Amino acid sequence: MVITICIGSSCHLKGSRNIIQRLESRIKEKKLDDKIELNGSFCTGQCAKGVCVKIDDELFSVSPETVDSFFDNEVLRRLD
Amino acid sequence: MERKFATVIDKLKFQVNMEVAKQAFEGTLDERRDEIPYMVIPGNKPQYRCCVYREREIIRQRVRLAEGRMPVSDGNPKNIVQVIPAACEGCPISRFTVSENCQMCMAKKCESACKFGAISFSNGQAHIDPAKCKECGQCMKACPYNAIVDRMRPCKRACPVDAITMDEDGLAVIDENKCISCGQCVIGCPFGAISDRSFLVDVINLIRSGAKVYAMVAPAVEGQFGADVSVGMLREAVKDLGFEDMFEVSLGADFVSKNEALELEEKMKAGEKMTTSCCPAFVNMIKKHFPQVLDKMSTTISPMQATARLIKAMYPDAICVFIGPCIAKKSEVIDSVTFEGADYALTYQELLAMFDAKEIDPSAYKGEMQQGSRYGKNYSVSGGVTASVLRTYEERNVDLPVKVCKANGALECKKALMLLKVGRLPEDFIEGMACEGGCVSGPAMLEKSPKSMKDRKHQIDQADGRDIITNVDQYEAYHVDMHRK
Repeated sequence: MVITICIGSSCHLKGSRNIIQRLESRIKEKKLDDKIELNGSFCTGQCAKGVCVKIDDELFSVSPETVDSFFDNEVLRRLD
Repeated sequence: MERKFATVIDKLKFQVNMEVAKQAFEGTLDERRDEIPYMVIPGNKPQYRCCVYREREIIRQRVRLAEGRMPVSDGNPKNIVQVIPAACEGCPISRFTVSENCQMCMAKKCESACKFGAISFSNGQAHIDPAKCKECGQCMKACPYNAIVDRMRPCKRACPVDAITMDEDGLAVIDENKCISCGQCVIGCPFGAISDRSFLVDVINLIRSGAKVYAMVAPAVEGQFGADVSVGMLREAVKDLGFEDMFEVSLGADFVSKNEALELEEKMKAGEKMTTSCCPAFVNMIKKHFPQVLDKMSTTISPMQATARLIKAMYPDAICVFIGPCIAKKSEVIDSVTFEGADYALTYQELLAMFDAKEIDPSAYKGEMQQGSRYGKNYSVSGGVTASVLRTYEERNVDLPVKVCKANGALECKKALMLLKVGRLPEDFIEGMACEGGCVSGPAMLEKSPKSMKDRKHQIDQADGRDIITNVDQYEAYHVDMHRK
């Protein structure tokens, strides 16, 4: 699975770097390093939905507050 | 400010970046984006292409690249290097053609060498039917008079990893799975039809938001912004752009030298070989084309990441922007988002555009600074990384005879990695630099002339001769983690 996080300026100001750190530590905690690749991306032009996070090609709107539920509900569910 | 450029392509790229930067600084990019093609290409007479409308469409696609977008579609593939479809001439050149050197011979070895029936004769002279030619090159090899010439497309010839093909309309296509972002096709295309996406607008937006944005200039910087513009003067000019401060990546390079030397020592004791990891195009080459030797690549982070981690250890809120001669660094930023290092990468070309957008002239500033050693400053030259790593052994009085393979340029890198892969590399250590000559020949350098290299040397000669290790150790309190995650 590839998770792509927008690192454009708008998403940066909405906390994309915190989201990356949080996802990274959740991935480590669940020992999923081999299954999930975290990548950055240029601005996807959907700044209103930021922070823009994609699981493969599917777009999600995530904030530092919702990153844990995103990980539990969307990421882990897709790995089962 | 009237500027001189090596080619009109460089000039157009600069003008686009400058107009985009100007509108971004003024916060008017959204309203005025569509006017930029008319600012860059005024009037009704075409200068470079068939008509002004095509010229303006090319500029429109370049504006999108300057904003970090894809030239046409709204898709968002990862690749930094993109074909500008409106600018690609689809080089109508058939790769193999028969020159007038054809002697109308009797043997006609070209004809029998061609498996596709592409060769015919009129008045005894050979002709190649481009529709049937599969570009295998057998006819060229077969001709005893060397009458068949290879006119390979410049982009394809420039690419060291065979990542460029063409679509059904003859337009260049870059295979993202093969592209190492080295930028050779960007400088190789004589129509300027390949270019790199930019973080320019992101960086300007963050500066405008009041965030603390730090610039980190790559070690090839001396002499790039004027013969006498020192890093100290540049720092003051960069601060006037709105950056909080500027650091030298040559300082991060010193951190890398110290760490990589320790790593190499261990590897050699264990009877293993090692490659450098500082050139992002070389790293991309290993990851995409030689994954079998990935475990032999140094686990030390690049000088860019080391500098960024040091800045973030000093100022936790910092946003760190690398500025260098390199296109591949942008891909390193995207691929290493989990490193907690550099946040963005710009080029010297893009920094120059920012200066002109704000009418800032670095030569008008005063200032002095030196953060990196002379060794760190020479990381940007082929052989410079090795010299630094070996220098740390001298500084520590360690006697370690290292056999070094200096892979200068992508082709030498490929050869060295091939030997390493099959276990036949005689040396212990590969210094891989994808640009021939090192970063000082990078695709986004502003000046590569012998004169500018002399200016660079003159400036570096004035730097003090500090040791690498003592230079690094003064930052001990910040505990910079030098390993990849």
